[in-house]
Amino acid sequence: MSEKINYKSLGLKCGLEIHQQLNTQNKLFCNCSTEMKEKIPVLIIKRKLHPVASEMGEIDVAAQFEYLRDRTFHYQVFPNETCLVESDDEPPHNLNPDALHIALQIALLFNCQIPEEIHVMRKTVIDGSNTGGFQRTAIIGLNGYIKYKGKRIDIMQVSLEEDAAAIVEEKNGNVTYRLSRLGVPLVEIDTGLLIDYTPEEIQEIAYTIGIMCRSTSKTKSGIGSIRQDINVSIRRGARIEVKGVQELGLISKIIENEVKRQMSLKKVEEETRIAKLDGTTEFARPLPGANRMYPETDLEPIAITKEYFESIEKSLPESWINKLERFKTKLKLSDQLAREILESEYLNFFEAIIKTKKVEASIVASTFTSTIKDLERREKVEISRIPEKMYGEIFDYVESKKIVKESIPEIIKYLAAYPQNGVGDALKDLDLRPLSVGELKDIVKEIVSQPNMNFDKAVGIVMSKVRGKIDAQTVMDVVKSLMK
Amino acid sequence: MPRIELGDPSSLVIKLPNGYNIGIKYEKNTNVRRLEGGKPIRFRPANLAIKKDPTKPTVSILGCGGTIASRVEYTTGGVYAAFSPADLLLSFPELKDIANIKGRKLFDIMSEDLTPEHWKIIAREVVKEINAGSDGIVLMHGTDTLHFTSAALSFMLKDLPVPVVLVGAQRSSDRGSSDNLVNLVSSIVAAKSDIAEVSVCMHGSMSDDFCYLHQGTKVRKLHTSRRDAFQSVNVMPYAKILYPEKRIEYLRTDYRKRDSKKVKLDEQLNPNVALVYVHPGIKPEFIDSLKGYDGVVVAVTGLGHVPTNPAGDRFTKSLLPSLKNLIDSGISIVIAPQTIYGRIDLDVYRNQRLLNKIGVIGNYCDWTPETALVKLMFVLGHTKDPKKVKEMMLTNMAGEIGKRTVA
Repeated sequence: MSEKINYKSLGLKCGLEIHQQLNTQNKLFCNCSTEMKEKIPVLIIKRKLHPVASEMGEIDVAAQFEYLRDRTFHYQVFPNETCLVESDDEPPHNLNPDALHIALQIALLFNCQIPEEIHVMRKTVIDGSNTGGFQRTAIIGLNGYIKYKGKRIDIMQVSLEEDAAAIVEEKNGNVTYRLSRLGVPLVEIDTGLLIDYTPEEIQEIAYTIGIMCRSTSKTKSGIGSIRQDINVSIRRGARIEVKGVQELGLISKIIENEVKRQMSLKKVEEETRIAKLDGTTEFARPLPGANRMYPETDLEPIAITKEYFESIEKSLPESWINKLERFKTKLKLSDQLAREILESEYLNFFEAIIKTKKVEASIVASTFTSTIKDLERREKVEISRIPEKMYGEIFDYVESKKIVKESIPEIIKYLAAYPQNGVGDALKDLDLRPLSVGELKDIVKEIVSQPNMNFDKAVGIVMSKVRGKIDAQTVMDVVKSLMK
Repeated sequence: MPRIELGDPSSLVIKLPNGYNIGIKYEKNTNVRRLEGGKPIRFRPANLAIKKDPTKPTVSILGCGGTIASRVEYTTGGVYAAFSPADLLLSFPELKDIANIKGRKLFDIMSEDLTPEHWKIIAREVVKEINAGSDGIVLMHGTDTLHFTSAALSFMLKDLPVPVVLVGAQRSSDRGSSDNLVNLVSSIVAAKSDIAEVSVCMHGSMSDDFCYLHQGTKVRKLHTSRRDAFQSVNVMPYAKILYPEKRIEYLRTDYRKRDSKKVKLDEQLNPNVALVYVHPGIKPEFIDSLKGYDGVVVAVTGLGHVPTNPAGDRFTKSLLPSLKNLIDSGISIVIAPQTIYGRIDLDVYRNQRLLNKIGVIGNYCDWTPETALVKLMFVLGHTKDPKKVKEMMLTNMAGEIGKRTVA
C-alpha cells in the first residue's frame, strides 16, 4: 500500500503538450495520403544524419557527431503515402490550406491570438524520425486559455507541425522508420504551468484539451492519433519531460510514478524520458537546448489576412467542452455516456436524430456506443453494411412507439444481414410487433402456473419469449404481480 | 529580425524566446518600444588548431560557390560560405582522418551564374594548387551547371598528374541530412585515388551508402532534387566510393593514372556559342536569328532529326534551308541527342541524310548537348576555320566521344 501523496506540499508542477493529428486528405507539405494503411514497404532508403554546425558550439558538435556516427536510419517507403518530400529529396510544397484552416479553428477555440504572418520553422531533431534532421513547425496561436473547474488554464501556444516518422525497430544502431506518418499534419497545444492540481486533475485537463481539438471533427482518431508529452517537476526535483504518452488514462499514473522517482533521488537531472505502456518511463536523452529553431527557408511566410481570419471565425464549430456540458444538462446523458458519444464516430448521426426526433437521448446514445460495439465485437455483425439512413428509420419507429428499445439490437443485426431491406421488413420478418400488457399477461399467467416456478426463473422464461417486443421492466412488474 | 528575402515587407518578424518566428503587421500607428538590448547577430568563424599529418596526402579544396560547404547562421537562416580549413573541419570532422586539408574560396556565386570566364579562373587555380604540390584537388561547386564546368576543365587541363574532383550537394547544408558530408568525404577519397582525371563525385543512390565517380565529359544532372541526380551517360562511372568504408572500388581501367607530369593549361575559349532545342512547331526564323553566333549546338530529336518535311506537309516547316544558310555563312552547326542517352546516327532515315549533307557536325557522336556545347566553345577558341572546327570536333579529346555505347 502506498501512502497518499500530498502533491500540493511537494510543489508538483506540470506542463502539457498535446499533439493531435489532423484528418486532412493530404499531408502538410505534399500531396501524399495521410491514411497510413499501407503495410508493405516498396523501398528502403538508408541514411545518416550529421550535426549541423550552425546551432552548436564546438563541443556540441563532437558529442552529436559521436551519437550520429553510430546510427544508420532505414526509411520504409510506401505507395501513395510517401513521395520525395518525405524522403527529403524534394523541397516542401506549400503548406496544406485545409490543415491551416483546421489549426486556426483550434487556436480560436482556445481563445488564442493569431499572428498576422505564419512562419514555418525547422526544429532540429536528430533521432532520425525526421528525414531532414528537423521537424517543420509554425506558431498558429498564442496566449490562449480554457476554463477548467472555473479556473483559467493558460494555453501558451498552438502550433501546426508535421508528424514524425513512426519507429519500427532499433537494433544495434540501426533504426527503422515508417515514412507514411511523416508529414501528417498535427496541432500541438502547450499549456502554461499547472500548479496545485492533482495528477487526476491534470489527466482531466489533458482530456479537456483533447476534446477541444476534436471540436473541429477534422482530427484523426485511434491509437497514436493523439499523443501527450508531460513536463513534471517537484520542489528540489528537476524538469523532466515524459514524451509520447498515447493513452490518456495513463497520465495520472505517469505523473505519480515520476513524482515518486524524483522523491527517491538525491539529485535529479533535467532530461527527456519516454513513456512506456505500463505507466513507467525510461531515460531517452538530455533536454534539448533552446537554440534548435531556424527558419524553413524553402517556404514563404503566410499572411493571415483580415478576410481570411473572419472567414475562420465565422466557420467556428461549437466547442466540444460546451457540447459535453449540453449533452449532460440538456440531454440528461450520464457523464460517461456523454463522453462516449462525443468520441464516437456516430456523433453526427446522434446529433441529427436528437435534433429531429422525440426520443430519449440516452437510448440513441447507447445504441451508437455500447449496442453497436457489442454487436460488432461479440457477434461479429458487419455494421458497416447498414445504410446510414436506416438509423433515422429505426428511431422513427422508436418515436412512434412501433418498436420498443429492446428490439434495436435485433433490428440492427437484421439490417446488417439484409442491407436492402428496411425496418418495416425487420419487424415483419422478426415478428417484433410490440406486445400489449394484456398479451404479456396471458403469457406470464401460463408460465407462473407451471410447477416449481420462482421469480427469477419465470422472468427468464418470459424474457426469452418476448425479447424485443416489450421492455424488461414491464416483464418484471407483470411477473411480480401475477406470482403473488 | 532581418527578413528572409520573401514575404510581406510591411510585417515585422519577431523571434520568440522559444526560437519560433512570427510576423506582426507593422502599420503607421504601430507603437514599437525597446525593452532591452538584443544580442547582435554574428557569424562566428571556427577556431580550431590544425596539425599536418605527414603520413597523409594533402588535398586542396577550392570553393566555387554552391551550398555544399556553407554554414547557416541559425538566428537568421542566412547561409555563409565557409571554406577555411577550420570551418570545413568543424562541419566535417571526418575529413581530418582521410587527408590533410587545404582550403580556400575562389568565389561564391550560384552555379547558374557561372560563365566560361569562371571556368578559366577555376582552371588556373587548379593548376596553381597542383604546382604547389597538392596530391589531389576537390572543387566544391553548385550542382546546376556542375557538368558544364567538369566538361570545360576536361578540355582545358592536359596531362593532369593528380585527380581533379568536382563535388556538390543537392540538399542544403543547413539540414542534418544534407548529402554534403557523404559527397565531400567521398570526393576526398577520390582525390587521393589513382584516377588523374577531371571527374564528378556525387551520390550513387537515394541512400547514403556510396558515391559514383563520373567522367567529367560524360555526366549530367538528370533530376532537380534527388541526391543521385548525376548520372554517367553512355559510359560506366570510373569508380564507386563506398562511404562507410571510405574505400574506392574501380569500375574502369581506361583512365589516366596518377604521375608526376606537369599539368598544361589551355584556356582558349570562345563563348559565342548557342545551344538550341528542336521541338514540334519550331520556326525556321528562330534558326535564322542565330546568325550572330560563331557556333550553334542543336539538340536534335531521336537518332538525329530536325523537321525537314520531305512529304511537303502543309503545316510543317523544314529547318534545312535555315541551317544550311548558317553553315554557308561559316557558322559551325553541331548536333547532339536531346534524349541525353544514346548516340547520333544520321544514316537510318532518308531525311537525316539531307541533314548530314548540309554539313552538320556530330554523326556517330554520343556526347551530351552540354558537353558538345563546351567542346564547341573550346574548339572555336582555337580556330574559326569551319573545316578545322569539324575535324577537331570529331576528334576525341577528353573521352567525350565514346567508341562503344555502354548499356
